This record gives sequence, C-alpha cells and structure tokens, in this order.
Amino acid sequence: MTDQRGRGPDFDTEAASPGVADPALPERIRHLVRNEPYAILSTQGDGQPYASIVAFAMTDDFRTAVFATPMATRKYRLLTACERVALLVDNRCKYPDDMMRIEAVTATGRAMQVERGEEFDRWARVLVARHPYLGAFVASPSVALFRVEIVRFFHVERFQEVREWRPGA
Amino acid sequence: MATRSVSWVIPLDRVAAQSEPSVGGKAARLARMARAGFRVPPGFCLPATAYERFVKAAGLAAVVRLELGRKPLEAMRWEEMWDAALRIRSAFLAAPIPSALAKAVTGVVEAMGPGVPLAVRSSAPGEDSASGAFAGIHESVVGVIGGPGVLDAVKVVWASLWSDAALLYRRELGLDPSRSRMAVLVQAMVTEDRSGVAFGRDPRAPARDHAIVEAVPGLCADLVDGRVDPDRWILERSSGAVVEWRRGVRGASDPEEPLLAASDLTALHQALGKVEVLFGWPPDVEWTGRAPRLTLLQSRPITTVASPDPGDKRAWYLTLRPGPRRLRDLKDRVAGELIPALEAEGERFATEDLARLDDTALAGTIETRAAALERWRQVYEEAFIPFAHGVRHLGQYYNDAVRPRDAYEFVGLLQGQPMLASERNRALADLAALVQRHPALRRVLAGPGDSSETLRSARTADGGEEFVRAFEAFAARFLDVSYRGQRLRDRADTVLATTLELADAGSRRSTGMSKDQAASASAALEDRLLHAVGDSRRDEALEVIEIGRLSWRLRDDDNLLLGRIESQLLSALQLGADRLRAQGRLAGEAVGEGASGVLIEALRNPERRLTLSKLPVAAIPRAPLAEGEVPRQLIGQPAAPGMATGRVRRIRTVDDLGRFRAGEVLVCDAIQPTMTHLVPLASAVVERRGGMLIHGAIIARELGIPCVNGVADAADILGDDDLVTVDGHLGIVTVGQPEFELERIGPRGRGARPDGEPGEFTRLS
Repeated sequence: MTDQRGRGPDFDTEAASPGVADPALPERIRHLVRNEPYAILSTQGDGQPYASIVAFAMTDDFRTAVFATPMATRKYRLLTACERVALLVDNRCKYPDDMMRIEAVTATGRAMQVERGEEFDRWARVLVARHPYLGAFVASPSVALFRVEIVRFFHVERFQEVREWRPGA
Repeated sequence: MATRSVSWVIPLDRVAAQSEPSVGGKAARLARMARAGFRVPPGFCLPATAYERFVKAAGLAAVVRLELGRKPLEAMRWEEMWDAALRIRSAFLAAPIPSALAKAVTGVVEAMGPGVPLAVRSSAPGEDSASGAFAGIHESVVGVIGGPGVLDAVKVVWASLWSDAALLYRRELGLDPSRSRMAVLVQAMVTEDRSGVAFGRDPRAPARDHAIVEAVPGLCADLVDGRVDPDRWILERSSGAVVEWRRGVRGASDPEEPLLAASDLTALHQALGKVEVLFGWPPDVEWTGRAPRLTLLQSRPITTVASPDPGDKRAWYLTLRPGPRRLRDLKDRVAGELIPALEAEGERFATEDLARLDDTALAGTIETRAAALERWRQVYEEAFIPFAHGVRHLGQYYNDAVRPRDAYEFVGLLQGQPMLASERNRALADLAALVQRHPALRRVLAGPGDSSETLRSARTADGGEEFVRAFEAFAARFLDVSYRGQRLRDRADTVLATTLELADAGSRRSTGMSKDQAASASAALEDRLLHAVGDSRRDEALEVIEIGRLSWRLRDDDNLLLGRIESQLLSALQLGADRLRAQGRLAGEAVGEGASGVLIEALRNPERRLTLSKLPVAAIPRAPLAEGEVPRQLIGQPAAPGMATGRVRRIRTVDDLGRFRAGEVLVCDAIQPTMTHLVPLASAVVERRGGMLIHGAIIARELGIPCVNGVADAADILGDDDLVTVDGHLGIVTVGQPEFELERIGPRGRGARPDGEPGEFTRLS
C-alpha cells in the first residue's frame, strides 16, 4: 500500500530533475585507462613493497597490460623474484582540488617477462603504439618487456565508492 | 590600505554601471536606480570576490564538493539535499572571515550609525532569472544590528548559495562548485507604515493594459512571506487610472478604507514607468513608504507565471519548510486535533464489529474507510509532512546558536522521546523475556503449524496463558498495519518468529541508551542551547525545542496511525471479498485498495460477479551491474553511528519479516512502520532511501545500531547472506572480507565474488 508511494517527505528528486546515468563500470575503466598513459606499478620483495611509475598499454579485452623496464633496475629484480603485482591508474592530475572527482583503478595480476622473439615484437608494438617515443627504448637489449595478466580491477570514485570488476567474467 | 578595503566593500552609491558580474543584479540595479534619482535605502555590497576570498581561506570548496560529490545529485532526495545544505551551512558558520575583510565590513557598518537595523541579502550574479521564479532559493537576514551580527548574517547568505532550494534548482541556477559565487547586499532597513510590490504589467496577463499594485501595513517582508493578505489594485498601465481595488483580509478592528491614497498610487504608477524606461523592461518592484517618501527596495524583470509542470515537485518541497509562525499553528493543529482524531478514527474502525453488518452495510463501511484513508493521506501531505520540518527548524536554530562541530549534535535533544515504535519494541522485548523464562513455552511456539494453532496450544504451556494474552493485546495495539497489501495481524507467524529470535538473542541484544541516559544527554544539550541564546531568547528557544521534539515524535507515530487506517480498510475489503467468494460471485485473489470500488458495487448488487486479476507488481529495476562486476564499498549517509559486520537479509516481502535472524544486517528500500520491530535484532541497517532524519535512522539511533542510508540500489546490489561491514560513522558499506591472495585466483578460476566463507581468505584484523 503506501509503502510504494514513499512516506514522509521521502520523495525522490529524480523525476523532478532527470539526470544522465553513469556509464557502466567497464566503460568507466576503459575511459580511464585510455586517457591515462602512466600507471604506478607495485612490486614486492622480502616483505618490502616498492612503487614505480611506468608507461603502459592495455589490450582491448582488458586482460593484459604491458610495460617495459631496463634490466638494471630495482623493479626488474623484484619482478623476477615475485610475479604478484598491482597497477594503479588514476586521473588525480586533472582534479588537484576536487577529490570527489578523482577516479582510480587498481589492477591486480601476474607480471610475466616476454622473451625476445615474435611474441616480444607483438607486445612491443602494443606498447609503442600507445607511446611512440618509446620505440628505441623498447628495442634496447637491456630492456625487458612484461605483460601483466590482469585478474581484477578495483575502481574507486567519489572518495570511497569501490567496485570490483573481473574482465571476461 | 584604504584602497584594499574598498575592494571588499563597495558603498551602493559607488557601484559602477558595469559591475553586475561582481555585485550581482540586485545590487547593480539598485545602484542604477539611485543614480536615476529614486529613493533607495543606503547600504553597501560585498562583491563576489569577498565570497571567493572567504571560501578559499577556510577551504570551504572542499566541503561543498564532498557534500555534493557523495553521490550524483540526480540521485539525491530532497531530504538528502537538505542534509547536505545543513552541513555546508554549519561549515560556513564555523569558518572565520579573513580579518581584512571583517575589518572592512565592521568599519562600514559602524559608519552607518550605531543601532541601525540592517537587512543582509543575497545578490548572486545571475540569480534573478531563477530566484524570481522560485522563491526562497537564497537566504536574507533582516533586523541585523552591529558589525559582528552583520558578519554572521553574511556567512548565512553566502552559505545559502548551496541551500537545499538552490540544489533543487541547480540546473536553472547553473550551480557549479568551481564557478558559482555570491555577492551580498547590506542595506539599512526602512520602516514605513505601508509597503508592497508593484508590477509594470500583470504577470498573469502580460498582454493587457494593466499594472498591479499590492500593499500591506508595515514591512514588505510580511507580504512576500505571505503572512499578510494585501490590498490589491489593478491600474490602467497607460493612464494609471484605477480599474479595480480589492481589500485585503484584515482584522476586524482594522480600517475599512484602502491602504493607499490616490496620490500614492500615482507615485507608484510613475515609478513603474520610470523604472521601465531605465531598464527597458516592465519591472517587478518591491517598495516601502507613501509618496513622497516612496522608497524602492528592489526591482527585477517580471517572471511570467508559467503553468507549473505537474511532474515538477520542487515547488512543493519548498513549501515543506514552514517558518516558526506556521510551525506553531501546525503544532496546535497536528498535536491538538489531527493526531488524536486519527488515533480515534483508527480505534473506532478497529472496534467495529463488521461480522454483524449485512452486505450493503459492509459496502458502506468500505466506502467510509476508503474515504477516511484518502482524507488522512491528504492531511499527511498538507500538515504532517510540513510539521515534520519542526525538527529541521530545531537543527538549524541549534546550529546557528551553538555552532557545534557536528551539524547533527542536535539530534541528542530528541533522544528518549516516548514514540509508538519504541513502545512497540519494548512490548515485544517483554514478550521475548516471557518466552526466555519458560523453555517449554518456547518449544511450543517454535513448533510447526499456523500461528493461531500454535497460540492455542501455547496456552497450556507453563507461562503460556500470560504470553497469549499479552501477545493478543500486542497484536491489537501494534500489528494493525499492512505491508505490501498484507495485514501484519494476519501474519502473526512472522512476529512470533521475531519474538523467538529476540528471546534467543536475549540479553546479548543492545537496546541503546537507557531512558535515563538519553534524558540526561538531552538535558545537557538543552542547557547548552539555552546558555548560547541567553535569557532574552530563552522562551523562543524552549518553544523551538518543544516543537522539534513533538514533530520528531509525531513523525514516527503518524506513520503507524495512518498504517492502521490502511489496515482497517484492508480488513473490511477482505471480509467483503470472503463473502462474495462464499456466494460464488468472486474469482481471483487480488484484494487491495484498488479493488475498493468494484467490491462496494458487488456487495450492493447481488447480480454482480467479479474477477479480480492480480495487479502487475511493478518490477524493481535492477542495478546496472556489469558482467563480472562486484560492489566492494558502497557510499551512503552516516545516519546512525557505530560499526558492525553481519550477513545481509533483505526485506522485500511479508515473508522476509519472519525470516530475519538476530545479528543480520537489515537491508531494505526504507524502514517501514511494519518492520521497525526487526531493528532491535539487527546488527546494522542499510536503506536506499536517504536522510539523517527519516524513520529508519530515527529508530536505529534510538537503539544504538549503526545505520547507513541513501545507498543507491542497496537492496538490489546487495544479496542475501553477503557479508557486509556497515560503518555508520562514515556512511560506508563494505562488502565481503578484505582478501590478499588476489593473483592466485586466475581469470577463469573460482568465483571471485567476495561473499565466500569467512576465513577462506586472509583477514585484515
């Protein structure tokens, strides 16, 4: 009976001011990942977390991210020791004074080094297509290419609203 | 130094012609009228840059963004907007005004003379287009005396850039946290014996050769607020000749003759013409004083009265904020007449012996009850809902006087009120205690069979006689309400199940603060408020508290009492349907309010046969969850403090009521009067409907149970048995356990929905 009518001044304002619904979560993630060229890579070793910034690219099915790193780096060492990583992509640069509009997505998964060869070339093309200035960098024999098999995305917006998405679920 | 202060404060006579973007339309036009030779009250403006300076220095932009960013504004209910506006207002009032700015303002105020009452008004750039059409968007403070008072009033006006009304009309106003600004106009208040408004054309019939003048004795604000009924003239626009005069409704002792003389009308007609020439549009003018002391308070373009969009409820929301005077009237009407009448009518219906009525008489009874329900629903919208604003009025009054850090501290003043819902919960707790004391009785009650059978056999158990008597009294008093077309009285089984749960949960259940604790906490806040307002406003404050408490209490009671009328209509309908069915004249199941008309007809006409088809149940739209998407953290409002973890139980049908188990998290669209008795069992409450002062929040707070409300699609996103943690301090609902073995779950591995058995993953604490 009245419970459907809304009790008290408990009427929704949607009817009064129709709004535009947010696009679905995968679309939001796609948008963010397409617009942000860099990610923060989290690695670990001996209980010590380590964070680095990387230029990355992602496949259209969201299952794989790819980035490159010189082999003399700390992150390379850590990646070869432990494949469990996280990548953080966010748009905080766009909204330095509006926390509520910042969106971030954390992708978790396994990072695997791609051996030189046909597969390497394929993944290198994906990365360089997104970051053309990295062509020479990727070609250098001292650089390793990693692909991250992504398990899940954790999307955060409005300061505390968190949703999880598994691509291809 | 002198030039610096000029930029914060601009005397009205020095407002430049092109300064509208800085001082707002209202101030710019007044300055222009003054230059054109009209009398306008002296005063000054604080340009929009002063607002920006204040907001920047106090970091208030972040507060506004936090409040408005909590969820999409489109998904916010009016009550949530009011809540957000209250928190923003509190933050503005608590923030200091930068000293250079404050000094500039106090300097000018002192220069205007000691003890001069001032009016502090909004003059937001671009405001008139919208606020002309919708009254009450921004605040004005009148009768302000002295520098500190003006500074406070300025903060109130600044904060009203983000008032609930402004948020409702944000599109029309172009409201934007990164761009919107507010200028303020401070003027001497001119006291004359006549005031009013005047229109260069008739707003309702702009094509006719008419101008309109309205006048009241005393302040123009009384007219604008609708407190006084004005005298009204229609003048010939071209000549100024009087076409019509209508006397306003005045007291018996007031004079019969018109409030304005012919010379006053001539002066007003001339002023309208001159203003129109000055600005190029027929104006809507506020004025005070009779010729030759005619003073113009403001002028703006006439907004033509558009026929309101029937789907646009915003104007109605704005009527839900009655001022102190109307609240006092409502208090007398609601508490003195309406609630007792509603209670008496429900009682009368409940004690009527329907069984002895013949079919025609039963039809009459159904008609009477349906009409009563219709009438009470109207009363609900016209009186009960507006009176519920009493508690908001108290909140704002308390915050203005006390300036607490927590904008909802005033809620403590309301705790421990004798509400029907708390009475019902206490009565149910007593029933549970009885069961607890008698294990044999518990065994009988837990047995199979329908509830009337169960109760019959319970009589023979130890303590059973007492229990059954108490339960029947309880049912008669508290279960005469309906949920989704079913009377709770007919579903006593669900309430028996809840009683058993309560008995088993026993002393482990929290019942919140004791009555004494609540009373002393409330008394402490009362002292705090009385101390803050001082002796001169003591009586006023006591009345605000009284009205606030009463409206809080009745807000809850009226739902239960109205629910009883619904339930009684349903009971008569059911009896009618049963009779028709027995006579073989009725097929189909659906007996609800909507069937009243046909049932009445059939009861009166023995030839009539009926088939009631089930009404289509409105599908609850699914939340837009994508494939593979799982909510992890949902945001709502922190409606009752505390933190608890438990399994979700959604309440969507009457059967769900009986399924609710102790320690579960109650998830629903909104707590209805039919489910408040479950709240004491719950570890936490999550509702879709938001608001700090709605039913569910009230009950949860009384019981000390965490509540988060305003969670969009709560009952669709959350599934039964999901493990959730409800943080009633922050307004966050976290789904599942934090897990860390993330990468071991391959993309095609086991289900990643975080509602697996607890302990399966590494736990955080």
